[in-house]
Amino acid sequence: MKGKWWKFSGAVIMIYVILMGMLTPLKPGITATSPSSSKSGSEVEITVKGYNTHFKSAGDHRAWLKLDSVHTIPVSMIETLSETDAKLFFDIPDAFPDGSRMNPLTLIMDNEMDGAFVQPNALFVTVSDSLNGDAGPWKKELAGQFHQNDAFMFPFRNILNETIRNTFFHVAIWFAMFLLLMAGLYHAVMYLKTQKIEHDFQSSAFNRIAIMYGILGLMTGSVWAKFTWNAFWTPDVKLNMTAVALLIYLAYLVLRGAGQDTDRRAKISASYSIFAFLALIPLVFVIPRMTDSLHPGNGGNPALGGEDLDHTLRLVFYPAIVGLTLLGLWMTNLLIRYEKLKDYFLSQNKNEQG
Amino acid sequence: MNVQRISHIFFKELSIDFRQKYAIGGIFLFSAALVYIIYKAYNVIQPREWTILIWLIMLFVGLSAIVKSFVQESKNTFLYYYTLFNPLELIVAKLMYNFLFLWLLFIIIIGLLYFFSGYPVKDNILFYTGSAWGIMGMSIIFTFVSVISSSDSGSSTLMSILALPLVLPILLLLLKISAVSVRLISDTSVWDDVWMLAGIDSIMLGAIMMLFPGLWRN
Repeated sequence: MKGKWWKFSGAVIMIYVILMGMLTPLKPGITATSPSSSKSGSEVEITVKGYNTHFKSAGDHRAWLKLDSVHTIPVSMIETLSETDAKLFFDIPDAFPDGSRMNPLTLIMDNEMDGAFVQPNALFVTVSDSLNGDAGPWKKELAGQFHQNDAFMFPFRNILNETIRNTFFHVAIWFAMFLLLMAGLYHAVMYLKTQKIEHDFQSSAFNRIAIMYGILGLMTGSVWAKFTWNAFWTPDVKLNMTAVALLIYLAYLVLRGAGQDTDRRAKISASYSIFAFLALIPLVFVIPRMTDSLHPGNGGNPALGGEDLDHTLRLVFYPAIVGLTLLGLWMTNLLIRYEKLKDYFLSQNKNEQG
Repeated sequence: MNVQRISHIFFKELSIDFRQKYAIGGIFLFSAALVYIIYKAYNVIQPREWTILIWLIMLFVGLSAIVKSFVQESKNTFLYYYTLFNPLELIVAKLMYNFLFLWLLFIIIIGLLYFFSGYPVKDNILFYTGSAWGIMGMSIIFTFVSVISSSDSGSSTLMSILALPLVLPILLLLLKISAVSVRLISDTSVWDDVWMLAGIDSIMLGAIMMLFPGLWRN
């Protein structure tokens, strides 16, 4: 048991991450509304498709269409069909406060069981030509307080929906990969400094596990991309720079495989991995920040933070980084022991023959 | 670091290359034949293809031109060099020589393409500044890979396997810079990419100067 605590804690943390990450429900939200457009001065009937909502069992329903912080339209009637289906009736005013022809309205719903939830740009209203109509139905603010929903749930984000759980795997794998690559770099430098073959085993094992994490990161990312951006691969700069970085490291594997004597191979692969890591810095940290990207944190998208990573997600995301890094260390450890045994038996064979 | 000794090594390289005329002549013939094949395949080369082709030609011609800088010399020659030169001076001279050699090839390829099918570059300052940094990066990476694969037999395949992924980021930036300089796309912040190339070059230069003395000692 002694000296193995980190292996066990890695496994326990990963089990926690998988259970917590997969079983925690999402907050209520709206997946679809119809119709999506309407004219001013008309009465609209909006059909709402909810997700994890309790339309039928909740009693105190309220809803608004919101134009901006001081202009909202309260709902005139709510008809609940089932837990996830409801019909909302709104009277759209004749006149809109600003002169624009197209006005996007945000739908806000609230009840005592689900709390408040929104659907941005739920309804686009075209303003008809008569500008001086009745502006009566506009209300200054949302009447009354929202209900609070204090249950432990992950945030519901449009488009992301259930795939928000991939944060714990996709993003955490990249963090773990970088930590492992840095360990590989450290051992490469130490090998060139001390010429101890131990560091060569360490460096190569860390790099190999990191490459495996890189491939896993790309795979989880492209599954995620299929569900959110509708394609496994996009011209997004981060994807392509990562592909280049992975190619550089795959060349490292080829170099390790090229038959050479141990010392020579150790020296060359240590040098190459230092060179590759230095080539990685502009690829992963600089170029993507100079270009627009679909990823969070680039091109005006918010970085990790805000609603994309709230306190409930953090509670699983940070342990996921630690857990994946520890599992990576464990795998590295096994790889080193395997390589050492192989090296030992090969040299024994040589001694017997010689 | 002694400028005079560096220049001696530099001129030694030059005189070796010009004594074995077949090697250097072969490279020039290779690039001329490549340009001609491409011209005949397209007949009229559009700006879009021009920018892609010039860097593809440079990539493969440059790779085969720089393989020789360490790979083609025998072990005995290395041992002799080892007694003569300071490694830093040797690598600086080799890098300078390779850079100028690639630059010469680049000018010749542009000249040939101009002769056969025109010259679409609109922004010459951007094109040649960007290309200079890019070719410098290419020569650094190819030289580094040549050093790594010099000891092994069968090394020219290993060289291209290692060199292609390493040179990819530089090539992608170069393609973007040349696309802007022939006005295929417009980008007001393209000079950031040029400085990015310069930054990558200096990182690579630092790495190769740090690693070469250790690698060379065999």
